[in-house]
Amino acid sequence: MTAPIVDVQGLHKTYRSFSLKGRKNVNAVRGVSLQAFPGEVFGLLGPNGAGKTTLIKMLLGVVKPSSGSAEIFGQPIGSSSARARVGYLPESLRVDRHHTARSALRYYGRMSNMAADQIHSRSDELLKLVGLEGRDRESVRRFSKGMYQRLGLAQALLHDPDLLVLDEPTDGLDPVGRNEVRKVIDRLRDSGKTIFLNSHILQEVELVCTRVAILAKGEIKGIGRIDELSENSDSRLQVDVHLAETLTLEDQQTASQWWEQTFEQRFAVQADSPADPAIQHLTIEVQERPEIDWIVDRIRARGDSITRLEVRRESLEEAFMRLVGSNEGVAVTASPAPVAVTDSTTVPAAKEA
Amino acid sequence: MKPYLAVVLDSFHSAFSSRVLWIAILAIWVFLAGLAPIGYREVYTTEFRWFDLDNGTQLKAMLARGLVDPNEKETALGRIAQTVPEETRRSLEKVARGENIRIDLEKLSDSFNESLDDESWYDEKAWESTVRLKELRELDEIPDDEISEDLRRRRARLRIEAALPGVFAAMSSRSIMLSYAGFDFPAMFAISKSQFGTVVNQFVVPLITSWLLGFALIFLGILVTASIVPEMLQPGSLHLLLSKPLSRTMLLLAKFVGALAFVLICVCQLVIGLYLIAGLRLDLWNPRILWCIPVSVFLFAVFYSVSMLAGLRWRSSILAIGLTCIFGAVVLIIGIVGGYFDGSVRMPDRISRMAFDGDDVVVSTRGGELKHLDPETNEWDVLIERDFRRSDLIVPPVRLAEGQIATAKIRNGRFNLYGTGSLDLLMLRRESEWELEPGLRLPNGTRRFLICDDLLIGVNNAGLMATPLEKAISTIRPEDEDDGDDSEEAAEESTGSESTGSASGMAAAAWMRDLLRMQGGATDSFTNILPSGITLTEPVRVEHLPELDSLVVYSRGRLVRLSLESVDLEQKTTASTEADLLLEDENAARSLLAASGRSLLLSRQNEPLQWFDADDLQSKATLETEAGETIVSMKGIGQSGRFALLNTDGDLSLVSLRDGALVREPMSFGDVTAVDYLSDPGVLAIAHHLDRIDWVKVGEDGSLTTVREIEPAVSGWRSVDRYAITPLRTLTPQTGELSDMVAALVSGKSSFAIGQGQPDDQEVVQYKIARPVLSCGVFIVVMLTLSCVYFKRRDF
Repeated sequence: MTAPIVDVQGLHKTYRSFSLKGRKNVNAVRGVSLQAFPGEVFGLLGPNGAGKTTLIKMLLGVVKPSSGSAEIFGQPIGSSSARARVGYLPESLRVDRHHTARSALRYYGRMSNMAADQIHSRSDELLKLVGLEGRDRESVRRFSKGMYQRLGLAQALLHDPDLLVLDEPTDGLDPVGRNEVRKVIDRLRDSGKTIFLNSHILQEVELVCTRVAILAKGEIKGIGRIDELSENSDSRLQVDVHLAETLTLEDQQTASQWWEQTFEQRFAVQADSPADPAIQHLTIEVQERPEIDWIVDRIRARGDSITRLEVRRESLEEAFMRLVGSNEGVAVTASPAPVAVTDSTTVPAAKEA
Repeated sequence: MKPYLAVVLDSFHSAFSSRVLWIAILAIWVFLAGLAPIGYREVYTTEFRWFDLDNGTQLKAMLARGLVDPNEKETALGRIAQTVPEETRRSLEKVARGENIRIDLEKLSDSFNESLDDESWYDEKAWESTVRLKELRELDEIPDDEISEDLRRRRARLRIEAALPGVFAAMSSRSIMLSYAGFDFPAMFAISKSQFGTVVNQFVVPLITSWLLGFALIFLGILVTASIVPEMLQPGSLHLLLSKPLSRTMLLLAKFVGALAFVLICVCQLVIGLYLIAGLRLDLWNPRILWCIPVSVFLFAVFYSVSMLAGLRWRSSILAIGLTCIFGAVVLIIGIVGGYFDGSVRMPDRISRMAFDGDDVVVSTRGGELKHLDPETNEWDVLIERDFRRSDLIVPPVRLAEGQIATAKIRNGRFNLYGTGSLDLLMLRRESEWELEPGLRLPNGTRRFLICDDLLIGVNNAGLMATPLEKAISTIRPEDEDDGDDSEEAAEESTGSESTGSASGMAAAAWMRDLLRMQGGATDSFTNILPSGITLTEPVRVEHLPELDSLVVYSRGRLVRLSLESVDLEQKTTASTEADLLLEDENAARSLLAASGRSLLLSRQNEPLQWFDADDLQSKATLETEAGETIVSMKGIGQSGRFALLNTDGDLSLVSLRDGALVREPMSFGDVTAVDYLSDPGVLAIAHHLDRIDWVKVGEDGSLTTVREIEPAVSGWRSVDRYAITPLRTLTPQTGELSDMVAALVSGKSSFAIGQGQPDDQEVVQYKIARPVLSCGVFIVVMLTLSCVYFKRRDF
């Protein structure tokens, strides 16, 4: 088996803070273990405060783990040799105002020990790749957030790293820009680079990631390919039925219960009636394939016609909601989720520290 | 190092993009442009100013004598006295009659200035008997029709000075006239070019460094750079930096070095600009001025280290600026308090002269105190309190006989050569428990005593005034007794009834005697043993040569050996001149003389040490002193032909003649304030570290053996200084003292002496170089270590 590029084993991070009220410990990451393999686009998902950024910071050596171990390219995280092969795009890149895109790339290139001519040629190439060609001499003061994000991507790729850590890479980009970034990621994956992607946009993750880890309350709630994360045993059957005999007015009003009685109370049924009273749209929660056969048989036994039948699998979003819990699912886009604290109080965690 | 160099270079890049930097650069260029039109030219020192009249009492008496003494009518003195305005003349005539009249020195100087234009007072014959300096002799050789107007006026001034010896302050022949954009400044600086350079290097440059570089630019620099660390700590910036293969410690240090870029850019322009202006406009090409650049950056580093730690801890540039300002204020206050203690507590306690009698020690201090060390308590008993205006002068105490020490206190003696009021020999006797008792009335202006066998000789500008030692020892007057025979007040009283009469007969003789006494001349008790034809003109130094029973007198370039054998006080015979030597070069320069055996050592500022054979005054050897070194005291070590030299740095060295060449070896003593030789136990008494005294025996091979250590107990403010102020100053960076360091670096001197007078009057200024560098350096290292540890350990 190929050796993982990123190998995290039981990583813990506890933030300790002191105040007049006493000591407070916040467990941001609790025993996370995961691996990312060469050529993989590994997605890291989770609600705000789940510990994603803390995990990334630990991988980059910015934050020191409280316990556990992690390696990048077989080197302990935080080591210079490991960091030399990593390209990082922070969530909201800040470039000093005196820079232009080109001078910023020169600065970051020097920090990665690149030679001047190497920086020059790579800058030309990357500025073109991220769409900043022709604006490379412009002060970054005039840059929009999207342009900053492009510049950030260029600097992350500058020293041709083997592992790219992208924190919200499409944040602030327009749809065209997002598409371009996705193409860049695809191209990098095809060229054998490993990408560690942290994003809130589930559709984006769904489109580009080969494997995903869902993190909540500092713990891994699910990890694997996206189809592996979806719940196979819990499907939703949608059936459009053309009734042989129109329902009575009373039965129409309680159609769902009527169908549940029809199916001998074995399933939860959601029945919708369009304008035509002879047509019924049924949504039935099923768990096993024989149950679908039984339902079909039952409808056919009544003499009704089945005009459409669809078994719908769980989406990533649904899997995410299920794994992190419905309350937390709301928090993905709305408000920060609470995280557990060891002194049994609850504090809001707007973002990982 | 490449990544860290990139961080440093980026800081320069950042600094150049700062608007504040460009505003600062503009301000610097405006300042330099404003300074650029300054210029100078050298002019001959001709005009008299009132403060050039160094000895008003003597001048008054001399002019009065010139007016009323018929014998002086055709002398140089008499002819100059005739030129004073009518109103002043009337006042001088009253002085001649013994009235205590104050003469307006400004009017006198104006009168002399008028005499510069009209030289009708000059008579070649009359001036032949005056002591003419080499410069005057050379000018006198130029025919009147060939001499330029400037030189003629200079010659006229020198003629006036020759007619009135000892009353004018020693001035250089050339003065500096500053100009701005071609216009002369209203006043000229009566200092030579080299003195002007010293003033610029020791005062002007450190002043600019303190205020412009040390205050304005540092504050500006902190305002601009305080945001560097908090901005670096912004998540989008810091996480990217920390993801690079960099060491956190090195990254922070690179940021620190980079922040110095701002100050470096500004300081370089300002200092190089000043260097060029000083060179191009004032001919002062002193590359040492460029030392201001690293010192200013070093100073900024002290403050920035605070700003950086505050920025790291609180991630706020406002807080970083605020805390740095508070730190600056604390350091400033500690510096001011420390400076106050230096000036008011430590410095005044520095021993300047010592006298010993067995276990008893009497010292005079820089602060104008006379103290006796109580052997029982080991504490100083103050005999003469400190004079806070520091205008009085304590004549160095001398041991007259067993259990008897003598001194004198010249009121206002620091600013007036003869002081004011009468002058008494102050006796300190063991039998009176070292209480001060008035003794003989001394000739005015007596500034030093010499004990020569059975004679007590008082040295003043009028001559060498001798009295039998026995008489001095035996004369103790009650406190309230005032025989009045020598004082100006007494002169007024004794002559008042006859003051309306003409200068004739007995009355005239009395006036003459009084006038001479006013000038510091002989009194009833003291006889002038200085042979006629020798005039004492500052700088004056006198040393006793017991082996030759002689005195050696140095008077403004003239070295004379006088034999005491011919002295008979009863017969009023003077000493006889045995050898006479006229030295050339800068005769007005600070000079010191020491005698040991048959050897003499002469030190003149900016000249090599000269070794003379005391017999014939032939120069035997010379020895260059270190560049910029100023010798403040020289003592002959008994009759061994060796000398102890003390310089302004407080370092002691031993000079001896070996194989015809002078050899100088350092003696392992630092912070020495005074040195004296005690012939009885044959030891050097070395006062060091303010008021500690060691008796040291100097071996033939130059080895030192300490035979007695005196370490008085400290009390009062000295205790506060030792146990509170000094530790506080040690723990805080002494940024204020860095201007001392600048002065030392720019001038190339680590210390200097102010005042051309007697060694006892000199203020020795020692620049603190090691302490500010050490305290600031240690502080920076501590703050950087704290910052690096915090940055390295902290999760961001």
